[in-house]
Amino acid sequence: MLRFLRSLLGLPSNRADFEDRMSEEMRFHIDSFIEDLVRSGLSPQEASRRARIEFGHIDSIKQDCRQARGLQLLDELSRNLRQSARLLSKTPAFTLTAILPLAFCLGANLAIFALLDGVLLRPLPFPDPGRLVLLYKTYPNAGVLRDGASPANLYERRGRIAAFSHIAISHPDAAIVGEPGATVREDILLVSTDFFSTLGVQPIFGRAFQEDEMTYETDRVAILTHDYWTRHFHSDPAAVGRQIRMDGQSRTIVGILPPGFTYLSSKAVIYTPYASAPNERGPAQRHSGRGGELIARLHPSTTIEAAQSQIDAFDASVAHEYAHAAMMAAAGYRTKIVNLHADHVASIRPTLLLLQTGVFFLLLIGSVNLVNLLLVRASARNKELAVRLALGAGRWHIVGEVITETAMLTSLGGLLSLFIAAGAIPLLAALGTEHLPFAHRITFDYHLASIAMLASVLTGFFAGVPVAWLSLRGSVGAALQGETRGGTAGHAAQRLRHGFMVAQIALAFVLLSAAGLLRLSLERVGALSLGFPSDHLLSGHISLPWPAYPQPQMRLTFTENLLTTIANQPGVHAAGIVSNLPLSGNNTQSGVNVVSRPLKPGELPRVPFAYSVGGSYFDAVRVPLLEGRLLDAADSRRPDRVCVVDEIFARHYWPSGGAIGERIFLGPVLKKDTDAFTIVGVVGRVKQTSLSETTSQGSVYLPYGHRADNNFYIVARTAHAPDTLNATLARIVRQIDPDLPINDVRSMETRITESLTSRRAPTLLAAVFAAASLLLASFGTYGVLSYAVSRRRREIGVRVALGAPPNAIRMQFLVLGLRLLLGGTCLGTAGAWAAGLAMQKLLYDLPPLYWPNLAAAASVMLVATLAACLIPSHRAARVSPIAALSG
Amino acid sequence: MKNTSEMLPGTLDMLVLKAVSLAPLHGYGVLLRIRDISGGALDIPQGSLYPALYRLEHQQLIASEWGQSDNNRRAKFYSITPAGRKRLRQETAGWNQMANAIAAALSARPEEV
Repeated sequence: MLRFLRSLLGLPSNRADFEDRMSEEMRFHIDSFIEDLVRSGLSPQEASRRARIEFGHIDSIKQDCRQARGLQLLDELSRNLRQSARLLSKTPAFTLTAILPLAFCLGANLAIFALLDGVLLRPLPFPDPGRLVLLYKTYPNAGVLRDGASPANLYERRGRIAAFSHIAISHPDAAIVGEPGATVREDILLVSTDFFSTLGVQPIFGRAFQEDEMTYETDRVAILTHDYWTRHFHSDPAAVGRQIRMDGQSRTIVGILPPGFTYLSSKAVIYTPYASAPNERGPAQRHSGRGGELIARLHPSTTIEAAQSQIDAFDASVAHEYAHAAMMAAAGYRTKIVNLHADHVASIRPTLLLLQTGVFFLLLIGSVNLVNLLLVRASARNKELAVRLALGAGRWHIVGEVITETAMLTSLGGLLSLFIAAGAIPLLAALGTEHLPFAHRITFDYHLASIAMLASVLTGFFAGVPVAWLSLRGSVGAALQGETRGGTAGHAAQRLRHGFMVAQIALAFVLLSAAGLLRLSLERVGALSLGFPSDHLLSGHISLPWPAYPQPQMRLTFTENLLTTIANQPGVHAAGIVSNLPLSGNNTQSGVNVVSRPLKPGELPRVPFAYSVGGSYFDAVRVPLLEGRLLDAADSRRPDRVCVVDEIFARHYWPSGGAIGERIFLGPVLKKDTDAFTIVGVVGRVKQTSLSETTSQGSVYLPYGHRADNNFYIVARTAHAPDTLNATLARIVRQIDPDLPINDVRSMETRITESLTSRRAPTLLAAVFAAASLLLASFGTYGVLSYAVSRRRREIGVRVALGAPPNAIRMQFLVLGLRLLLGGTCLGTAGAWAAGLAMQKLLYDLPPLYWPNLAAAASVMLVATLAACLIPSHRAARVSPIAALSG
Repeated sequence: MKNTSEMLPGTLDMLVLKAVSLAPLHGYGVLLRIRDISGGALDIPQGSLYPALYRLEHQQLIASEWGQSDNNRRAKFYSITPAGRKRLRQETAGWNQMANAIAAALSARPEEV
C-alpha cells in the first residue's frame, strides 16, 4: 500500500536506491570541491577538512533533502504503522476484544448498506437514467390515488408534450409458452413501439417493434431477453425470424435484447406489442385504466416541473373532449409525473432508511465501546506518554500515533467485517429481501468492500480523536507527579468514559424500544383477520388465453367443469373462483352508480372493489352473510342480474338497512336499465389489499357468468392441510386444458405470512440489532466499572482497613452503574420518541411514545446493567486491604 | 562576499533555476556557476543548495539525469523543465519590478515628497 501511495504522490518508488544516490551525489560534490581546493594549493588533508566544514552537517542536510522530496510524512506513517502493529500483536486479548464487536457492527452495517445501495442508491442501468419518468393518473377526491394508464393516454400525448423526447407504455402479463403438452407459463411484458428507445436500449439482433404491429390483428411478433434466448435458442442469432408459440398462437421473433437487460424488477422473459384498437386510443378511453404503466424520457434541457406544467396544460386543453369532464374535475383528476427510480422504490424507502439508521446506531455503540476500551488503556499508558512529552516528543506526533493505532484496529475490524457481510447478505435474502425491488442488485462486490474499508478507517479516525485528546490532556505533567492512580489526570478520563457509557446506554435503549415498537406492531397486525377464516384455504391463479377462450360462455363453461371436478375431490369441502383474491395484489376497483340515488352535480360515484365470483366461492371462503342470500353457481346461468355487496357499501347508501332489492350499475355513468344488478345480499367486510387496510370504499360481488374475466383464482376449502392438494389442482387443470398451467398455488395462511414480510423482516433485523446493542452496552458497563474498581483498589483497601462494611462498597459501585443507567435511559427516552416519530409510517396503531413498551425496554436495560455491575462491585467488596495497600 | 542569510527569501531558488537554465549542471557546478555569473558576489552556503535542488525537482521545475562529469565520474545533472523556465520568467519579472521600485524609493529626494 505504501508503494501505491508513493506512486500516487510522485515519490521515488525505491527508497534504498534514493538514499544511495543522494549519498553518491553529495560525495561527488565534496570530492570535486576537495580537488579544486588542492588545485588552488592546499594540502590534501587541509582541503578535505575545509571541504567538510564548508559543506555542513551532512546528515541534517540529507534530512532536509528528504523533507524537500516529501518523504518525511510517509516515513512517520510507516513508523507509526509498524509500532502500532507491534503493540497490538503484544496484547492479542485486547486486540481481539476491540476488533470482534466492531467487526460485527461494521459487517451488519455493510449488509444493510448493500440493500440500500442495490435498491435506493445505484442508478437504473439505462443511459442517463435521471431523465426517465413515470406518469400516473390520480383522482384523489374519488379515493383513487393512483390509476394505471390506458392506450389513450399514450396515443393522445405522443408527440404533443415538448418536454418528452420519448414516451411509451408497458403492461406486465403472462403467457403460456411452448408446444402443446409441454407448456410453461412465462412472465411477459406488453410494450409500445418506443419502449426500448425510451429506456435507451436497442436489441442486439433484429429490431424493436414497429407501429404497424400495435393492433390486435398484427401483433404476432415477440422480442426475447438475452437470457431466454440463451436458454431456449442456444444463443443462435438465426432465432430472429423463427416462430415461438404463445397462448396457442405463433409469433415471429423479431429481436433479441442485450445481456442483463431487465425493466426495473420485472421478471418478463418475452416482450410483445401492447396492442390496441383505434377506438381505444381516443378520448372516450382516456379514463379507463388498463393497468398500463406510462413512462417517458425527458429532453436534456427540461425538468420534471416543466414537464408537469406542460402535461397539466395539455390535460386542461383536451378535458372538454371527454363526455363527463365535470365529474373528472370533481374527482380531482390529474396526471402526475415522478422520477421512475424514486417511484419504483418509494414504498420500501422508509423501511430501508430506518434499518440503516438502526444499524448505524449499533456501529456508534460499537465505536463507543472501542473508545472506552482504548481510554482505559490510554490511562494506563499516561506515564509513558508524559515522559515522552517531557523529553520533547511532538504533540502532533503523539496524536498521529494514537490515530494510526485506532485506525489500524478498525481497519482490521473492517477486513473481518467483509467476511461477516458476505455471509450476512444471503441470510438477508432468506428474510425476504429477494422480494424487494431490484433484488438482483443486492450483492457483495468490490465497490461495497472499498466502502467498508473507507468506513472502517474513518471510524478509526473518529474513535482516535477523544483518545488522543485524553492522551495529551492527561499527560500534561500531572501524571509525572508521582500518584498516577486517582490523580487529577484520571478525572478527565473518568468523566469522558462515563459520558460515553451514558451515550451507549441511551443508543441501546433507543434500539430496544424501536425494536419493541416494530414487534408490537407486527403482533397487532398479525392478530387482525381478513374477514373470513384463513385456515384450510387453498388458492391458485389461472389466466385463460384470449385466443383459446374468446367468448364469455367458453370461459364460464371451463370454470364450471373445473369447479365440479375439484368439488368432487376427496378432502374438498367447497370450491369457487374469484377475479381478485384478497392479498393477491390484484385489486380491481370500479365506479358504481345506484339507480335510486342519481349523482348530484359535482358528486362522485363510489369506487368499491369489484369481484366476479363463480361456483361456491362464498361457501369456500365463508364470508359471513349479514342479510339476504349469497351468490351461488346457478346465478351465473340465470338471466336476471343479481349481486351481493359488503356492509361498508350497504351502510354508506342505506345506513338504516334496506339494501336488498336496490339496483346498481357498474361504471361511472348510468346505463340501460337492463344492465342494472339487483342486490340480493349483504356480506361482511373482507380486507383486500392488506391485513392492516383501514379505509375501503366497499365491495361489490357479481356472478362470474355476467362478468367473465379471463384472469381468476381458484379457491378451495379443504379438510386437511391445504398444501396436500397442490399437485391435484394442477393435474385437474391440465386434464381439462392440457395447455393450461396453474400458478401461484398457495394457502391463504401462506399469503398472509408473505404479506407480512415487509413488517416481519425489519422487525427481526431490529431485534438482532437491539440484542447486539444490549450485549455491547452491558459489556461496556462491565468494562468501565471493572476499570473503576481496579483503579481505586488502594482507596477501597484503605476504607476497608478503616472498617467500611463490604456491602457499602458493593453498593457504591452498583449505584454508580445505576446512575449511568438512569442518565442513559433519560437521554434514550428522548431518542425513542424521535425514533417513534420517524417510524410512524411503518407502525400500525401505535403512538411514537408507547409507555408499556418503554417500560419493557427500561426493565431489560436494568437487568442487563445490573448483571454487568454485579461482578465488578462484588470484586470491589472483596478487596483485601493488605493486598491493596502493598500492591 | 554575501551569504544567503543576507539574501532575500526565494532568491536561492531563482538563482538555481537561472544557473541550470543556461546548461545542465551537477550540484557542485550549480554552485560554481552562480558564483561565476554573479561575478563572485554571491556565494551560497554549500549545504543549503541540495535541499533547494530536491525541492525544485519535487516541484518538477527541474529534472535530473545521471551522466559523466569533466573528471570522468558519475554525477547527477540537473536541467530546467518547461515549467521551470516559465517560473524563472515570472520570478525574473517580479524581481525586476521590485528592484526598480526599491531603487526608485531609495533615490527619492526631499523635494519630491
